[in-house]
Amino acid sequence: MTLLAIENLCVELDGPDGTLRLLDDVNLFLSKGRCLGLVGESGCGKSMTALAIMGLLPRGMRASGRILLEGEDLLSIGEDRLCGLRGRKMAMVFQEPMTALNPVVPIGRQVAEGLRLHLGLTRHEAELRAGKMLARVGLPVERFPLGLFPHQLSGGQRQRVVIAMALTCGPDLLVADEPTTALDVTVQAQILDLIAELVEEFDMGLVLITHDLGVVAESTDTMSVMYAGKVVEDGPTDEVFQRMAHPYTRGLFAAMPSHSSDLDATRKRLTTIPGRVPDASSRPSGCPFVARCSFATDQCSDAPPPLERLAHRHSASCFNLSRVEGL
Amino acid sequence: MTLFLVKRLIMLAATLLVAAVVVFFVLEILPGDPALVMLGVSAQADTLAALRAEMGLDLPAWQRFTNWIGGVVTGELGRSYTYDVPVSELIGERVVVSLPLAVMALTLSTVIAIPLGVIAASRHNRTTDIALTGAAQIGIAISNFWFAILLILLFSVTLRWVPAGGFAGWDAGFWPAIQSLLLPAIALALPQAAILTRVTRSSVLEVLQEDFVRTARAKGLSRRAALWRHAVRNALIPVITILGLQFSFLLAGTIIIENVFYLPGLGRLLFQAIAQRDLIVVKDLVVLLAGTVVVVNFVVDLGYAVLDPRLRSGGGHV
Repeated sequence: MTLLAIENLCVELDGPDGTLRLLDDVNLFLSKGRCLGLVGESGCGKSMTALAIMGLLPRGMRASGRILLEGEDLLSIGEDRLCGLRGRKMAMVFQEPMTALNPVVPIGRQVAEGLRLHLGLTRHEAELRAGKMLARVGLPVERFPLGLFPHQLSGGQRQRVVIAMALTCGPDLLVADEPTTALDVTVQAQILDLIAELVEEFDMGLVLITHDLGVVAESTDTMSVMYAGKVVEDGPTDEVFQRMAHPYTRGLFAAMPSHSSDLDATRKRLTTIPGRVPDASSRPSGCPFVARCSFATDQCSDAPPPLERLAHRHSASCFNLSRVEGL
Repeated sequence: MTLFLVKRLIMLAATLLVAAVVVFFVLEILPGDPALVMLGVSAQADTLAALRAEMGLDLPAWQRFTNWIGGVVTGELGRSYTYDVPVSELIGERVVVSLPLAVMALTLSTVIAIPLGVIAASRHNRTTDIALTGAAQIGIAISNFWFAILLILLFSVTLRWVPAGGFAGWDAGFWPAIQSLLLPAIALALPQAAILTRVTRSSVLEVLQEDFVRTARAKGLSRRAALWRHAVRNALIPVITILGLQFSFLLAGTIIIENVFYLPGLGRLLFQAIAQRDLIVVKDLVVLLAGTVVVVNFVVDLGYAVLDPRLRSGGGHV
């Protein structure tokens, strides 16, 4: 069953030098109980997509297209209805646990707040349930009283609080925006495992934003590779990993350190993708990747390549797919 | 916490001592002989000498300083030359005017400024914000004594709602007394409120950019609820600092405002005492005012701990 369908999502920002298109015709699809990985470099529009789903884009940004959550278009409903959905039907886990919590409010109250708001529980009932939820994410009340303040917790513990906060009302959709980027490597795995467990337990859909391909391989069913505000390749995770149809996807994989036991392979320098992501104000009229692509032809600079279907549910936008795959 | 308190108390005493030294020696340098003022310029030399000896003015400076400080510490503030009553009595009479005036002005400016600042921030760069910021800018530019005169012209002379000056006294009843303090309090409060509004606005604007406000919104809180429940309390921390600093300006303001409105308060007493070379009153008052400022700043420091749990002791990682 379709949980989330994003159709032709564009996000625009009016700047001093005209309108900037930050997201360009993004299409995403997520079934209930599944996990969609959103991959790409910083500035490619991953977090922007997450904020668009939550209806929390910064002021001045305009979203167009459709974002359907269980058939309801989030872009056409009012703010009141959105407030009713946020935290109740859809929830978000943020990148920076150090700043995502209010420093002057005890953690118990921060977790209980959503329960009181959406389920109309009394303070006592809400705190009781908040305590259970905190225990579920690994912060039992005996060791972590509800009266603790965020500064008394470590980064990983705070991220657990953020997760508890997101899940306390049992949402159907969880958007996790680089939930482990700010954490120690050892803690990262714990938090990812916790999210995976909870997603299954609560039968949620998960949009997992990350730039870590290892994480994508391990925890997602489908994935979309984003570049400069566009989806350049998407499909079932294992298929994308196998074919790597788009040159940018190849570049990402090549830039990933390998864990192979082959000494020659590990001694090789890591490949990098030359250049940088073009700024939203200076994107080329053709393929956004053209300046950094070793397969680029004249055609690539003229018009953006359409998303081409490679297999059932797997597609990529590149004029030179056959040459890339021929390698 | 105890260590913090002890440290602050030592700081408090040190600040007061420095204030006392400064005021004593500044008055020492200033021309003007209190004995001469009391007796008039035609006084006989021997009468003058006798009075100076009686007042202790013939003693060396350091001895007069220690005598004075010793008195202040034991609560013996000395005797006013001009009023010929104990200074403590004078202060007692006047403080019942100045203290309510300062408290009214501070309350008024806080009650006006904080909501306005929050509203301006929540309507950032829109008409309400621009209007409020503009009004605040004008408020900052206006001097309070001029503003006080405008208030008198409007509310006392034209509308005849409140008296133009003087103090009915608390014996006349609560309401008449408050009425005579109302205009002075407004005159003192509005320029302060203007500054405070701007500080609150920029502080709230800054906090609204914080991640936790977005987290609150992601929970389902409306913009307004996230603003008042999550942003404002965090934004008040710098506002409290300014509030503490403003208190000293408020005290300085009372000196001027009490003169404009002929209020028998500490400010007016200080002003008259300087004019009449009633030096012991000047010295005592300055130390009292300095003490008030230091104590208020101390209270502000305690206020931080109430607002911000990170500053309370007993924290640390679990």
